[in-house]
Amino acid sequence: MSAGPYNYSYIFKYIIIGDMGVGKSCLLHQFTEKKFMADCPHTIGVEFGTRIIDVSGQKIKLQIWDTAGQERFRAVTRSYYRGAAGALMVYDTTRRSTYNHLSSWLTDTRNLTNPSTVIFLIGNKCDLEAQRDVTYEEAKQFADENGLMFVEASARTGENVEEAFLETAKKIYQSIQDGRLDLNAAESGVQHKPAQPGRNTQLNDQQANKDSCAC
Amino acid sequence: MEDVLDEVVSSDDLKKFEQVYNDQLYKGEVTHKAQFEYAWCLVRSKYSADIRKGIILLEGLFQSDNAEGKRDYLYYLAIGNARIKEYSKALHYVRAFLQIEPGNQQVQHLETLIKKRMEKEGLIGIAMAGGAVLAIGGLVGLGLALAKGRSS
Repeated sequence: MSAGPYNYSYIFKYIIIGDMGVGKSCLLHQFTEKKFMADCPHTIGVEFGTRIIDVSGQKIKLQIWDTAGQERFRAVTRSYYRGAAGALMVYDTTRRSTYNHLSSWLTDTRNLTNPSTVIFLIGNKCDLEAQRDVTYEEAKQFADENGLMFVEASARTGENVEEAFLETAKKIYQSIQDGRLDLNAAESGVQHKPAQPGRNTQLNDQQANKDSCAC
Repeated sequence: MEDVLDEVVSSDDLKKFEQVYNDQLYKGEVTHKAQFEYAWCLVRSKYSADIRKGIILLEGLFQSDNAEGKRDYLYYLAIGNARIKEYSKALHYVRAFLQIEPGNQQVQHLETLIKKRMEKEGLIGIAMAGGAVLAIGGLVGLGLALAKGRSS
């Protein structure tokens, strides 16, 4: 991350969901730190990450809520779905059970988010080709049938990780441009931060400063 | 909604999990699950009385539950205490956690957040003291100007 204050025009809220052990936190870590986190312990409740990205010349701050996959957290993590502009739904290409559970994750997502929420399906661990348990074709078909965006990715090598997060943001930004996403709706998951002089801008700068700290 | 120390539970969620907990309490048998879910919501409340209640419930769970849940309770005890500015207690729980799982990134991240809070509030203290100096300086200046005005 470069030094100096950031300015951003939008905040997009994301959630990352999926069975335990599929690599949700590793994907987030790879995206925010550009590093692979080996021996990642189970997430407790929810973890949070941010990164500022650039879409069509606009600076956008992603606020990403990474939810624990373990069943005992499920009831409370559901409340984090509300107001998400993007949902990254992750399965493990080497464990079929995690793929089989996608329909229940999708049902939850559809019920708890709004129609404009962009859902992106990620098949993680695609570097482990020898252990593959789910073919690209069947997952692609599932994604197409349900109107989801889809890639296979690897948090270990970084392959397609950046793409998944950025493509989701592009789609959300497109919805704003097309007027399909109502910015005034409380649960759109998008906040507009117009760069106007005055108190608001100052507040943004402070927040942005905080984010630019190395952490 | 900047991070795990700022994020606030919705009142609907708080009520929902409170209801489950109270129903079980009434029947005389509270499950660890219901107590944990309610406590997890309480420590994310904007009211410190709620957070304190959440901390008590988590302490109870920590005493009575087996090993599996203990890391969850420690983590949320740290968050709850940090949110009511009991930073040294919060760091105590973070360190207890890191003794068991030294490499846990999520908890290391929380430790950084807590330290940043402490630092920020320390700086605010200094800034306020600085402001007072400026205000006193201003008064002295004003006094001098008045005296000067009178003498001329």
